[in-house]
Amino acid sequence: MEFKLEAHRIVSISLGKIYSARGQRGGLKLHKNLLVSLVLRSARQVYLSEPGCPPEPPPAACGPPEEESPPCTTAWAAGEPPPPPQDEAVRSGPRLPGADCESPRSRRCCCGCSCCCAAAAGGEANRGDCATAGAAAPPPPHCPRKRSAGERGQAGSPVKKPRREEEEEPPPPPPPGEQEDMETGNVASLISIFGSSFSGLLSKEPKGRRRTPLDGNEAAAGTPAEAAAEPGQICCDEPVLRTLNPWSTAIVAF
Amino acid sequence: MSHKQVGAPPGESAVDWCLYQLNGAAEFEVSEADIISTVEFNHTGELLATGDKGGRVVIFQREPESKNEPYNQGEYNVYSTFQSHEPEFDYLKSLEIEEKINKIKWLPQQNAAHSLLSTNDKTIKLWKITERDKRPEGYNLKDEEGKLKDLSTVTSLQVPVLKPMDLMVEVTPRRIFANGHTYHVNSISVNSDCETYMSADDLRINLWHLAITDRSFNIVDIKPANMEDLTEVITASEFHPHHCNLFVYSSSKGSLRLCDMRASALCDKHSKLYEEPEDPSNRSFFSEIISSVSDVKFSHSGRYMLTRDYLTVKVWDLNMETKPVETYQVHDYLRSKLCSLYENDCIFDKFECAWNGSDSVIMTGAYNNFFRMFDRNTKRDVTLEASRESSKPRAILKPRRVCVGGKRRKDDISVDSLDFTKKILHTAWHPTENIIAIAATNNLYIFQDKVNSEMH
Repeated sequence: MEFKLEAHRIVSISLGKIYSARGQRGGLKLHKNLLVSLVLRSARQVYLSEPGCPPEPPPAACGPPEEESPPCTTAWAAGEPPPPPQDEAVRSGPRLPGADCESPRSRRCCCGCSCCCAAAAGGEANRGDCATAGAAAPPPPHCPRKRSAGERGQAGSPVKKPRREEEEEPPPPPPPGEQEDMETGNVASLISIFGSSFSGLLSKEPKGRRRTPLDGNEAAAGTPAEAAAEPGQICCDEPVLRTLNPWSTAIVAF
Repeated sequence: MSHKQVGAPPGESAVDWCLYQLNGAAEFEVSEADIISTVEFNHTGELLATGDKGGRVVIFQREPESKNEPYNQGEYNVYSTFQSHEPEFDYLKSLEIEEKINKIKWLPQQNAAHSLLSTNDKTIKLWKITERDKRPEGYNLKDEEGKLKDLSTVTSLQVPVLKPMDLMVEVTPRRIFANGHTYHVNSISVNSDCETYMSADDLRINLWHLAITDRSFNIVDIKPANMEDLTEVITASEFHPHHCNLFVYSSSKGSLRLCDMRASALCDKHSKLYEEPEDPSNRSFFSEIISSVSDVKFSHSGRYMLTRDYLTVKVWDLNMETKPVETYQVHDYLRSKLCSLYENDCIFDKFECAWNGSDSVIMTGAYNNFFRMFDRNTKRDVTLEASRESSKPRAILKPRRVCVGGKRRKDDISVDSLDFTKKILHTAWHPTENIIAIAATNNLYIFQDKVNSEMH
């Protein structure tokens, strides 16, 4: 359990770093951001693989997640065909209310976003919908989608508001012919993705996936951020995820 | 374990380090621009260059020995100061390019002038440093101020003569190697052929000719076709000291690649890969970060390579790729604190490492203004501190100890009391003598071997 908390904390911190890296003088430091994303990925994997969610019956509509394996969490865009660039995947697709039912996996996604779930230490108990309920599915238990107001208090902070902004705008298109700018674009996507994912997590109503509009002024609780996230992000299409490489996987995870 | 044995040639008396001089403002007056970002001795050790975050380079010159002023001998005095790089703005990407000097490398001296390369994140510059200590006097047509003389006053011809003047050091930019790098330049290295040098950024290494600025040759490119596939970056690189076709580069994954430029034009494929398998018992979230190599240096002999990662320094034998021949723990007590160090960004600090002239001792910096030396022969190590309080001029430095619980001796410092804002990232060792330059934030400490300093 402690590992889960630790992992969650690390995820929050990492996201904060990635976010704040965008504004630093001298431009994006590729090396540092790469390392942060690796830590993010490790933490996410640990979070997902740690048994720790108290089983709770998921909303009726959704059955227990299946077999699953790893971190499906990286999934996004429910029901969509293999999404192209990860950011699009993330932001595309409105989340269908019924999505949960259709792809139980999506739940897991939520879980995966440890950051979201993570929230306050006390949150563990509330992690609802660990799709695990009933699922023999051992390992990756799912992280609670959970989202209580309490979570807001979590780390990360400044990330919140800005992330929301990120979501609204598309990642900066690479200047014509300038491929190297993709790195900046990637980070922007990363942020958007995180942003979107958080919105889902924020929702207090697992069932309806309703978003709780985030109070934009909340500085705290970086992770659960943006209410403004578009709906539907959390659903993920596992097969698609598998094809994504580690970098985007890490990105997508949240 | 006596620290005194560190650095002493076998059978001779031990090395006692003492503070020789200290340059820099007191700590409470530090401005970010004054923070030293690189330190480098030239090939003879006569000159010492430092670069700072404000883009300035300060060159110190060692006073020649003279019997007349025994205490000034061997002292490094400021020789020249100049602004090497200015902040720039990349309009295309809306990014500011920092003026911080990342690295300085001296060229071997080929005539009366000295030359060095300095680089910031994007642009490398070649500077020529010349002295002027004479000037011509006695022109026929011009007077002392250079104004034309009234010809009617000229009654005879004289031959202008060179008269001594106060020494003037002139620094001029001779070459500017721009637009070679998309990513941030982390190292430069002059080839032993004295004609070429290489510059490395996160993903590429370029080979330049010292006389040609409008083109460079890309010799290593690890940029993946899809940036999402990126898993490692280049962290440091250096040419072999004797073989002009060999160079090494280190990666963020902790590996070293030795490349031979004779093998192919593009050296993406290494000739040798030096990598140590990870110890599974030490695995943590931060294993990847702490295995990232922050500096690599060939030994003077060219037989070994020294690498620094977050917690250790390792000596690699060029002939053995499977593991380092020696590993030294710099501050293993930080292993349990990695999460906090990640939070406060200290885990990303890039420490440098250095060899002494005979390759028998290696040195690297740590936190709390501590720096460490490891004697490869005696296997002894010592921790010393660069601070105003503990360094009285000419007094011998006392070894420091970090206690990690258990018995605490007087003067020990506990891990929790370490000041992580005081980090020694940049150190340099004189090429032949026991003189070291330590950069502690904005202060430059020069320590000498007591015996060495007394001899002068």
